[in-house]
Amino acid sequence: MASLTPTLIARGAEAEIYLVDFLGMKVVVKKRVSKPFRNPVFNKVFIEHRTRTEAKVLSELYLAGVSVPSLLLVDEEAGVIVMEYIEGARLSDSLGLLRESAVEAIGEAIGKYAALMHNMGIYHGDFTLANVLLVRSSESGNRVVIIDFGLAGYSTDIEEYAIDLHLMSRSVEALYPELAEVFTRAVFRAYREHSKVGGDSVIRKVSEIRTRGRYVDRELRKAVLRERYVE
Amino acid sequence: MSRKHLYEVPVNIPLVESPLIVLGVESTSHTFGVGIIELLNNRVRVLANTLSQYKPEKGGIHPSEAAQHHVNTAHSVVKRALEEAGITLREVDAVAVAVGPGLGPCLRVGATLARFLSAYWNKPLVSVNHAVAHIEIGKLVGGMRDPLIVYVSGGNTLIAVQRDKRYRVLGETLDIPLGNLLDTFAREVGIAPPYVVEGKHAVDICAEWSNEFTPLPYTVKGADLSFSGLLTAALRMAREARKEKSQLGRICNSLRETAFNMLIEVVERSLMLTSKREILLVGGVASNTVLREKFEVLADFYGARYYGTPPEVAGDNGLMIAYTGLLQYLYGRTTKPENLVVKQRFRLDEEVYPWLP
Repeated sequence: MASLTPTLIARGAEAEIYLVDFLGMKVVVKKRVSKPFRNPVFNKVFIEHRTRTEAKVLSELYLAGVSVPSLLLVDEEAGVIVMEYIEGARLSDSLGLLRESAVEAIGEAIGKYAALMHNMGIYHGDFTLANVLLVRSSESGNRVVIIDFGLAGYSTDIEEYAIDLHLMSRSVEALYPELAEVFTRAVFRAYREHSKVGGDSVIRKVSEIRTRGRYVDRELRKAVLRERYVE
Repeated sequence: MSRKHLYEVPVNIPLVESPLIVLGVESTSHTFGVGIIELLNNRVRVLANTLSQYKPEKGGIHPSEAAQHHVNTAHSVVKRALEEAGITLREVDAVAVAVGPGLGPCLRVGATLARFLSAYWNKPLVSVNHAVAHIEIGKLVGGMRDPLIVYVSGGNTLIAVQRDKRYRVLGETLDIPLGNLLDTFAREVGIAPPYVVEGKHAVDICAEWSNEFTPLPYTVKGADLSFSGLLTAALRMAREARKEKSQLGRICNSLRETAFNMLIEVVERSLMLTSKREILLVGGVASNTVLREKFEVLADFYGARYYGTPPEVAGDNGLMIAYTGLLQYLYGRTTKPENLVVKQRFRLDEEVYPWLP
């Protein structure tokens, strides 16, 4: 007899994630919830709009071969998405446990998936280590699965793509500074290789975005902007 | 901050036998402040925290006018601080000064004063990052060791954590800071200056005129924020609304709700990313009661501990410079007057701080 008692396995910034045994199959139920500290208008918009976008993006990416959980069910008004259960650890918790060669391989996989996603005109919007699951297996090696498309969207603007890469590289710098260089280099290398939207210009845009932060050295900012105009 | 209270230093510091006294000078923006702090073993005591603020009669901060204000008031602020502390300059062990980030002309007033005090009285000189000082004083008063740091002021909006003896920025504004958004809007629609009346910001006062909410551009990119589109849209809406009080109230309410919700969202996301159990709110906008309430509910929801720095140390002040200067002094990070330079652009994540975990 299948148990329908949901177990809360994670609480994200905007949704609760439950593990449910559904007819003998383990599935994840992601339920977006209202937050008491959020304006009621935002609660409604966040729940409906983000549920709809996430479901759409998930199904398109899955069909295109990007490593994401497969979508099973969606209920926009209730803010519920049901999807495949992936047994893995967030890279934000697990990247530090890996050897440098493994970190590099993971960086490459992430770079590749980012490129495939951007090739389809989709950006993730919250592309950080916390939103990549690492599935470790002794036979088939490590595998990464990209999750949480709540801030994703469609755009042809390379700015959005560059922001994805920027967020990923900054999250590794904040969490694992000692791995940042190897990891980011691998991400960029694979991204260039698989991008069909102009990988080089996206990566150049990343360094431009970086210099937009407050109090970035003025000379550095000028140098980056100058480079952009030289093209 | 109580003058009698002994605050335990929440970071690792070398043990020193005799008491130490550090005087700190703050002049990065509109505030000229002098603070004096005393270290007794691993505890500190506030001896003085005095300041004088430049308040423009119209418009925003004019850097050279603000600097002129600092020049005019520096002497009396130092004197008042020493009187309050009941000490003379001879008893001070080190002089600290905020060298950035900030407005050039203003920074140079503080730097000049600190160079003089250091050279004339032969005291070690310490150069302090203003942003680091905001955070350190928050950690001290709130008794926090490893919080998720939210720093919001007129010049900064960022979320940071401590890692490998550095501050690491998780998210920040990509254009204008939150305080600047509120100030600029208030100024442009004619409800400021004065920007703050009895602890309430002009936008907060105006927001009380209406409960209505109209959607405005909401721009969150991961943990980064962008407020410039929001400002432009709100200003355009305000122009269309003319001078009608309830209409302006509606726009203020919508602007504030949107901006605060954006900040709350990135804080929430950073909290998830880092799994921190403490949230520390620092900087001038930390005095905003509406924002504080939102943070309290957020922290409560996640079972995290929240601390918002109280107004007297949330805004710019000399005490935070003195305290951070003290930490640096304990680690031997002093400089000579001839080598002290101001740094208008001085990022939080630029330097290593030996007391951080």
